[in-house]
Amino acid sequence: MFEGFDGWLRAKDDNGEERPYSVSEFIDYCNAMLSRDFDDILIEGEVASFKVNQGKWVFFDLKDKEFSVNCFMVLSQLTTAITDGMKVRVRAVPKVTRWGKFSLTVRQVMPVGEGNIKKSFELLKKKLALEGLFDPARKRPLPLHIREIGVISSTGAAGYIDFLKILDNRWGGLKVKTVNTQVQGLAAPEQIIRAINYFNKRGGVDVIAILRGGGSADDLAAFNDEALARAIAASKIPIITGIGHEVDESLADLAADVRASTPSNAAERLTPDKSAISRQAHLRVEDVKRYLLNEIDLTKKSIHGTITQLRTEVLNKINQDLRHIAETRKILESLSPENVLRRGYAIITGKQSPGSKITITTEHQILTAEVTNVQKRHQ
Amino acid sequence: MSKNVTNNKHTIADKMAKLDESVEWFYSEDFVIDQALDKYKTASLLAEEISKDLEQLKNEVEVLEDFTKD
Repeated sequence: MFEGFDGWLRAKDDNGEERPYSVSEFIDYCNAMLSRDFDDILIEGEVASFKVNQGKWVFFDLKDKEFSVNCFMVLSQLTTAITDGMKVRVRAVPKVTRWGKFSLTVRQVMPVGEGNIKKSFELLKKKLALEGLFDPARKRPLPLHIREIGVISSTGAAGYIDFLKILDNRWGGLKVKTVNTQVQGLAAPEQIIRAINYFNKRGGVDVIAILRGGGSADDLAAFNDEALARAIAASKIPIITGIGHEVDESLADLAADVRASTPSNAAERLTPDKSAISRQAHLRVEDVKRYLLNEIDLTKKSIHGTITQLRTEVLNKINQDLRHIAETRKILESLSPENVLRRGYAIITGKQSPGSKITITTEHQILTAEVTNVQKRHQ
Repeated sequence: MSKNVTNNKHTIADKMAKLDESVEWFYSEDFVIDQALDKYKTASLLAEEISKDLEQLKNEVEVLEDFTKD
């Protein structure tokens, strides 16, 4: 409380008598009271008379059916697109200016309601797309061999639990380094940006996963923050998002290197399936087994064929030799003296001169005769 | 623990590479039926070890920072 002030309303002099406020004192006092009672207040209303001055300062009115309040903010703090008629939620500090005007110094703005969120999303999407922030050419593939994953999520959220569960089911040996942040509400974008910067400064992680389970358009509105989209695009470490469900598309998704449809899907995209790998290893061995059995069968058939062929060749050779022996035998038999004798001829042995004795051999007899005459034969 | 996990992971990768090599041998010109049974036993053992190693690997989760408290 200001020195010399009495309670809430009156200023006193040294004698305890009421004295008038100076204008500055009064405004300072008002601001002190406002700061004490309404510091960082959340207000919801409709935007009117929105304008940006000198490319730096944003002015608009926030109104409802009966009242209106002036709002002021720095353009760099406006991280969502707003237009007149849009319902927004602002986090602001109320203030009486030096000119005595009451206004809200706004720190954050977020559209409220599905229609407004969508409208804001489309405006920002168009703007950032024109800057090339979502250009497919600047997106990086996920590393092939991931050892460490930086996770940005609410550690109590179902989406985070699902992610860890799927990760455990699919693969092991990974280091998961988590930074706990809010994943909805006005504070969420700033916390997530800090976490992105933290991982980029710390290093060590191969990829950053930004995760949040399903929710309403209001719940997911934090991921349509312009500064967050820019931080994601600027990250040196590749970023995968798993936000909401398949149908939910946020600026964070568009700026990320890889968009997974859900936190579970992010886990699937980051890891191979150990069951499939194990199955595949066994299937390959089974294939080899079938191949090997087939080769053994073919070899057996080949050996059997060779044996059969050899056997045939040996038999043929034997038969051929037998035939040759039989023919030779016939020739030999035809040349045998016995055969000549059988045909009625006789073999004469001994000296063929008159008075000599000779031996005459026939088929059945051996005769001894004496040569009485020898005469030359004329042929 | 983390060191073991990393080592195990390398081992799995090594074993996968060895399995690939073993399997490819069967379809290569080096295939000789006399050596096939031993090679098959090696491949089968590798597949078993890979499955076992994969089951044993666990992930390690650590919450480094809590930015919701600031």
